[in-house]
Parts: sequence; C-alpha cells; structure tokens
Amino acid sequence: MPLKSADQLAPERGSDWLPPVATLNSVKVARFVIRVINGIGLTLLVLIFALPFAWMISTSFKTLPETMVFPPKWLPENLVWENFVRAWNTGPFLHYFMNSVIVAVGILCLQMLTVIPAAYAFARYQFRGSGFLFGMTMITLMIPAQLIFLPVYLQMSAWKLLDTYFALILPFASSAFGIFLLRQSFKQVPEELIEAARLDNAKEWQIILKIMVPMAKPVLVTFAMFSFIAHWNDYFWPLVMTTNDTVRTLPLGIAQIRHVEGIVTWNVLMAGNMILVMPILIVFFLAQRQIIRAFVYNGVK
Amino acid sequence: MALWEKLRPYAMVAPAILVFSLFFIYPIFYMIYLSLFEWNFISPVKTFVGLQNFIDLFQDEEFLQVLKNSFIYTFLTVTLTIGISLFLALWLNRTGIIYGIVQGAIFSPHIISLVSISLLWSWLMDPEYGLLNWVIGLFGFGKLQWLSHPDTALISLVIVAVWKGVGFNTLVFIAGLQSIPKDIYEAAALDQSKPWTTFYKITLPMLSPTIFFLVIICMLNSFQVFETIYIMTQGGPVNSTNTLVYYIYQYGFQFFKIGYASAAGVILLIILAILTILYFRLLSRRVHYG
Amino acid sequence: MSLRRDEGVAKIELKNVTKAFKNEVVIQEMNLTIQDGSFTVLVGPSGCGKSTTLRMIAGLEKQTSGDIWIGDKCVNDTPPGMRDVAMVFQNYALYPTMTVRENIEFGLKNRKVPKKEREALVKDICEIVGLTPYLDKKPHALSGGQRQRVALARAMVKKPKVFIFDEPLSNLDAKLRNQMRTELIQLHQRLGTTFVYVTHDQVEAMSMGDQIVVMNKGKIQQVDAPMKLYHDPENLFTAQFIGTPAMNIFHFREVEGLHVETEVEIGYFGFRPEHALLHPGYYTEGLAVEGEILTRESLGAENIYQVKAKMGTFFVKNFLAPLEQKKHVRVVVPYEHLYYFAPDGQRIRGIEVRARSLVAGGA
Repeated sequence: MPLKSADQLAPERGSDWLPPVATLNSVKVARFVIRVINGIGLTLLVLIFALPFAWMISTSFKTLPETMVFPPKWLPENLVWENFVRAWNTGPFLHYFMNSVIVAVGILCLQMLTVIPAAYAFARYQFRGSGFLFGMTMITLMIPAQLIFLPVYLQMSAWKLLDTYFALILPFASSAFGIFLLRQSFKQVPEELIEAARLDNAKEWQIILKIMVPMAKPVLVTFAMFSFIAHWNDYFWPLVMTTNDTVRTLPLGIAQIRHVEGIVTWNVLMAGNMILVMPILIVFFLAQRQIIRAFVYNGVK
Repeated sequence: MALWEKLRPYAMVAPAILVFSLFFIYPIFYMIYLSLFEWNFISPVKTFVGLQNFIDLFQDEEFLQVLKNSFIYTFLTVTLTIGISLFLALWLNRTGIIYGIVQGAIFSPHIISLVSISLLWSWLMDPEYGLLNWVIGLFGFGKLQWLSHPDTALISLVIVAVWKGVGFNTLVFIAGLQSIPKDIYEAAALDQSKPWTTFYKITLPMLSPTIFFLVIICMLNSFQVFETIYIMTQGGPVNSTNTLVYYIYQYGFQFFKIGYASAAGVILLIILAILTILYFRLLSRRVHYG
Repeated sequence: MSLRRDEGVAKIELKNVTKAFKNEVVIQEMNLTIQDGSFTVLVGPSGCGKSTTLRMIAGLEKQTSGDIWIGDKCVNDTPPGMRDVAMVFQNYALYPTMTVRENIEFGLKNRKVPKKEREALVKDICEIVGLTPYLDKKPHALSGGQRQRVALARAMVKKPKVFIFDEPLSNLDAKLRNQMRTELIQLHQRLGTTFVYVTHDQVEAMSMGDQIVVMNKGKIQQVDAPMKLYHDPENLFTAQFIGTPAMNIFHFREVEGLHVETEVEIGYFGFRPEHALLHPGYYTEGLAVEGEILTRESLGAENIYQVKAKMGTFFVKNFLAPLEQKKHVRVVVPYEHLYYFAPDGQRIRGIEVRARSLVAGGA
C-alpha cells in the first residue's frame, strides 16, 4: 500500500488538525516569551542593586546645585573631582585610615593568638570543666555588642581606657565564632596523624603549629576575612568607645562628613562614601567567587 | 600525668575565656546589677531602687512605643527578607554567567559597611531630590516623605534592611537547595508530583534547618539594629523609628540615666534569650533532618 | 648506607600487662616475649586486643598495670618518641600539608639532626624505597602504593630498634597487597630489625611471620612458628583460626565409631578439610564418614566440598583432582590427622585410636 503524504492524511483527521510545524511554533513562542520575562526580571533585579551604587558614583561628581534637581540628572556637567578632596579634608582621614588598619589588624592578631590554642584544647583534650567552658564560649555568640555596650563603656570609662586602642581591640581579642569553626576543623584531623607526630618526637606546640594549623588553613583564611571585614566596617563600637579623634576609625570619619558643613552636602558626602566603598567593591568583583563561598558556606553550618 | 600536662589545656583556653568573661559575661551581670539602681554616671553615688526602673519602663509610653517599633520592625524585616530570599533562591538557583553576575549583584550590599549603606539610602530617600522618589514616579506614584514622616519612616528602614540582607540569605538558601539530593526530586517526578506539591512537601521540609537558622539570625540582628537608625533617623520623627538599642543609647549616653538604660538592656536581654531558647526548642521539633 | 643495625638486643617483653578502658578489661595479664630480630605477627579477630597491644608497645596507649621492656630498658614511662620505635599506620598518617621530603625528615628535625646528615639520610632512604622522583610532591598527589612507601621511608629513616606495623596492607588492592607483602619480607631480611606486625588476615600472618601470636578477647591463644600453629594448635580457637576453610570441629559425642583409649574427657574433635580423603585407599586407617555433597567449588587447583553427614556438615578440600560429581561419598580421615580437644577448648595430645578397619562412622 503506497505511503500517504501529510496532506492526504489531513482530511481523515478532521478539520482542526494542524500540521506538526505549527504546533512546534506555539511551544517555541511560549518558551521565548518566558525567557524574555525572565530576562526582564533579572535585569530589574540587577538594577535594584546596581542603581544605588551608580547613583552614588554619579552624585559624587556633581556640584551641589546639580544635586538639588528633581527629576534628578544622571550625568553631571563636569566631573567635580574636588568633592573627593573636600571629603578627604573634612577630617584627618589618613589618621582614621591608619586607625582602622591598626584596630582591624590588631584584633585579628589577638584573635589568632587566643583562638588557636583554645580551639585545639577543646578539640583534642579531655579535661574537667571543658564542657562548661565551651558552653560559656558558645553563649557569647548570642551576646551582641549592642547588648553590652553600656556596661563595657562604663568599665572602660572607669579604667580610663576610653579613646585608646585597648577599648577598640581588647573586647574582640577573642572570637567564639572562630573557636567554633577551628574546633570543628581540628576535630577532623585523624588521631593517627597526631600519633605519628608523637612518634616523630614532636612536642605539643610543634604538633599544633606544624601540622594542625596548616591543615586548617582554609578555615583560618575564611575566618580572617570575616573578622577583618567586620571590624573594618564596624561603626557602632568605635562610636561608643571614642569621644575624640585619637583612635577614631574610618567609618566614623565618613559619617561625620554630614555634620561638618552645616547643611548636608550630598555630593561631598557621596564622594566620601565612595572612598569607603570602592576598595571593597573592587576587591569583591575580583574575588567574588571566593568571597561568596567563604561567607555563604560558613553560614551553612 | 605530669603537672604541666594536666594544667596545659587550662592554660590554652585561659586567654580566650578571660576575654569572654571580662567583656561578655561580666558586663551582662553588671548591667543587671545596674538596672536595680538610679545613677547619672557622674555622681559617685548609686541609689538602689530595686525594680522601680522596670515599673517605670513599662509605664512609659515612649518605651512601649519603642517596644512596639522593635517588634514591628523585626517582624517586617524577617518576613520580607526570608520570603523574598526564598523566592529569589528558587528563581536564581541556576548556573551560568548571567546568574553568577546576578547572585554577585544581590550579595554586594552584604560586605559593604552599614554606614555606607545608611548614608547612601539617606540620599536615595531624600524627600526632595532623592532617586527613589524618581523611580516610583516612573510607576505613577507621587513623592513620598520616606524617612521624614512618622508613618513611613519605620518601613523605610525596613526597606534598607531587606535590601542589605536579601543577598546573603538568598545565597545561603541556594546552597541549601543544592545540598538536597537530586534523586529525591526524581522520585517525586516518578510519583507524578506537581510543582507546588514538590515544593511544599519536599523542598520546604528539607530546607527547614536552613530556614530556621536564617530566621533566627535575622530576628536577632533586627532586634539589635542601631547604625541605620543612628545615621538615618536618630529615632525620629516623633519616635517612630526609636527601637530598643537606640533607646538604650539615648538614655545611657545622652540622658545619663544609667539605671534606666540598663533596665531597658535587661529587657533586650530577655527578649534575645527567649528567641534563642525558642529557636532550639523549635529546632528539635519541627525541623526535618534528611 | 648500612641498614643493618649493629646494636645489641632489642627484644620486647610484656610482663603481666593489663589494659582496661573505663570498666572494660581489654587485655588481661599478658605475658609475651618478642624475640630480637624476629618478624612477629599479632593476629586475631577484630576486638581481640592486637592493636591495643601494639600501641602499648609504641607508647601510644599506657598500660593499666604491668611492665613493658624494649631491649634492656623498661619503657613504662618513656614517651612514644623516645622509645626508638617506628610505626607504619593503617592509613599511612602522612602529614598532608608537607611534601614527601618534609614528611620523612620531620622526625629527624625534631631530634635536631644536623642538616647535612638529614639530607644524606633522606636521599638514601628514598633511593631504597624508590621515592626519589616524588620528593617534592604532597601526599594527595601520590597513589596508595606510593603513600605506603613514604610511610615506610619515614619509619626507616629513624633507624629504630623496633618496627611496628598496624595493618598496613589492608587499604591496598589485592595485587598491590601481595607485592608489598613480598617487599616487606625482603625488607625484614635486609634490615634484621625486630618487626611487630598486626593483621586480622591469617593468610597474611602465616606467609609473613616467623613468629605468630594468635590472640582472642585480649588473651594470647598461642605463640609459635606458622607451621607449628598449623600442625599443632594448642586450643580450639587457634585450630579454627588458622587454615582456610577452617578446621571441621564436632562435639565428641556426635561421632559414631570412634573409640579412643583415654581417661581424659574429650569435648571436641576435629580434622582439617585438606586431610579428609574422598577416595581413600583400601588400607587407609581412619574415621570413615558417609555423607552427601551439598556444594562443590572449584578454585582451579583446589576443590572445596561441603559434605552433609549424620554427625554434621563439614568441608573437604583436595588438590589437582577433577571435581567430584557423585552425590554420595564416603570420606575417610586418617587417625593421625584427628585432633582432640577438652571441653574447655584445650588441646589433648597423645590420644591413641584403636584401629578398626572400614567401620561406618555414620550414615
């Protein structure tokens, strides 16, 4: 029996039968529409997060009158670089910058010194009271700075330690979060490795420094990033603990720009904000993957 | 065992424990102690007043307003942040350069300092010249007062908090979604499960530890909010954005009523403690561990 | 480089050693002498205490009571690094963040061996175990066999009095395992140092050791050369532990037709599958058992049969013979290949059997 062509088949199937080609098209169209909507959605999403930064950049190059325009103009007439100079000069910014460095680095160093031995002890020794002490450490995770700032301020004031690096560094000289992370890491080192090291005549401190710590390096690096960024960005604690410029840090300096000139000069303020934000944003775009991985995967305990 | 070997663990934890005792544990007790006194910080005399501070607090309309603000702020921030993050996570849980860029974009506020964000949004929300009013103008809305009006100020702060927090939460959710084994979805598909059912009965329960974790973190953070308020609204207008921590700051650092402020601090402590206990209770009951 | 130790005695003695973990006594009053220069294997099922014993010798576990002597020194209070003992771990325990070179010289550095000497030692050892091309690689870049060699090199470079091996071959695939077995035997011959080796695999134990310590539940069952263990087990446990398939054991009262002259009460008797004859000669004097073949396996050179008889089911093994297809067989075990045990498991020797020819022992 001879094969029938598509046209010959059509009458048998009924008048509302469409040849296969048309059906394929409607599915394709539907898919295309969804993709377009998805694309629009994604673009909107990115805009929601990119526009504010773009606006900040735009403002920082404007003159003051240019900022007081509605609807706002995006592009300024000229690039007013002077805003940055003025922002920088509203206060001893280099001094603030150095203070930020001293505080963040100081905290990190002290944290390493206190966290590594403590994490090792909790991970690998059995000693009386270890449960209690570890529990106490974990409780401090639930105690934020915003809860204890008043009593600590009173303490520091009584000891005449306000406006010193001590007030900014000491309270953070250790980190329960760091101990928690590192303890997990140390616990995962197989006992055999430590036994081999003992048979190799290694003393305890050698075991810690030459074997355990190198093995925990990724965790330590992650933690260091956390700590550094958190304390570099910290506004609250330096606000509470300082009354003058001696140890004031960068975030405080930037925020102060508002009060310097009487009225709020948004262009200068945004220029100052740029100084604070840009370095981190640049680092972020360069190392995006690692940074996200570090922050996110340590959030997923 | 040699004496040194016995003492060694204690020596190793001592520095950390010292720091925690001095700067975390002791201040809590000191604060509780102070809450029972009246003190203006300058005078060497502290007057014992027992629980009077607490009684005063709960009779103070301002404080009750502050409590209300704190709860409303927290509730709104948490529901919006977690809800939006979950939605975004389901949407953006794909590989590809574009999705990578989008994920990076929404995460970027997380690493910028809160100060910068507060300053930026103060400008964005400027009632006269701010960008935000221009944007909503595109959709046909009129200018809003945002931070300058008691009715909109708190919500404005919520918007800022959600904007900052959504990225981190979304990425954590995505990580959580990816850790669900694929074969469970395949089994569901074979069981002819519809998308909503799959989500409700499989995805959600398997994501529940992550959800609870993020909810608690978000709640604790929201109750502790300070920087944004200090920079953007200073508690106003008309106390509409005054929340617990800012209140404590005001009464401690501006009005020098140390005892009173400490009492407010104790209330904050109790709220945080209850939230934490609730978390661990709920964790053991409703959370499903695969 | 001379590998042979020219030091004196390095025999190991455990005197009345007991080890208890919390409330559980794992090793009870153990007395053991490991001869200097021997290749001693501790073998037994999981949980028998062989690893614990090994670790006590190394100093990684402290005994609850008793003395441990290495050479002429009581090492009870000597820390592990000072006992002149080197250990090769089951999972190699290589330091993952260090290169092969650093792994090997770690112990030397800790003992403050001067740099020149260190370098020479490392170089020599690597040539011996064939690791020279890998000196600057890290463990994760090496194969299982290569890691094993690094573990060996690390142990050897210390030139210890005693080498300790904790199931070092169990993580290797079969072929590599056989290869390493031969290499270890050769190494022992070359070095002459005391080797103490722990394994749960009795085939490995029998092939490698010159002195085997069979352990069960924390007690030593027998200490002997491999062949003596095979031919002359001290007790039921050893008899059944050595040999594949295990010795066939029956309650003595189950058997018919075995008349022995003895005053001692016999609890069990047994014979090895390889001593049971499927096609006995007419004059073979022994216990005759009638039975049915349940399963037959041919492993190439050897065949293993499972036979069901009145007194029970047992295994028969023969070599280089065609696979028996008959169902019904008559198996004869020569009397001299029967082993007798007291009810408590102890071996009874010197039992005479009155020879009776061709008597049915059960049908």
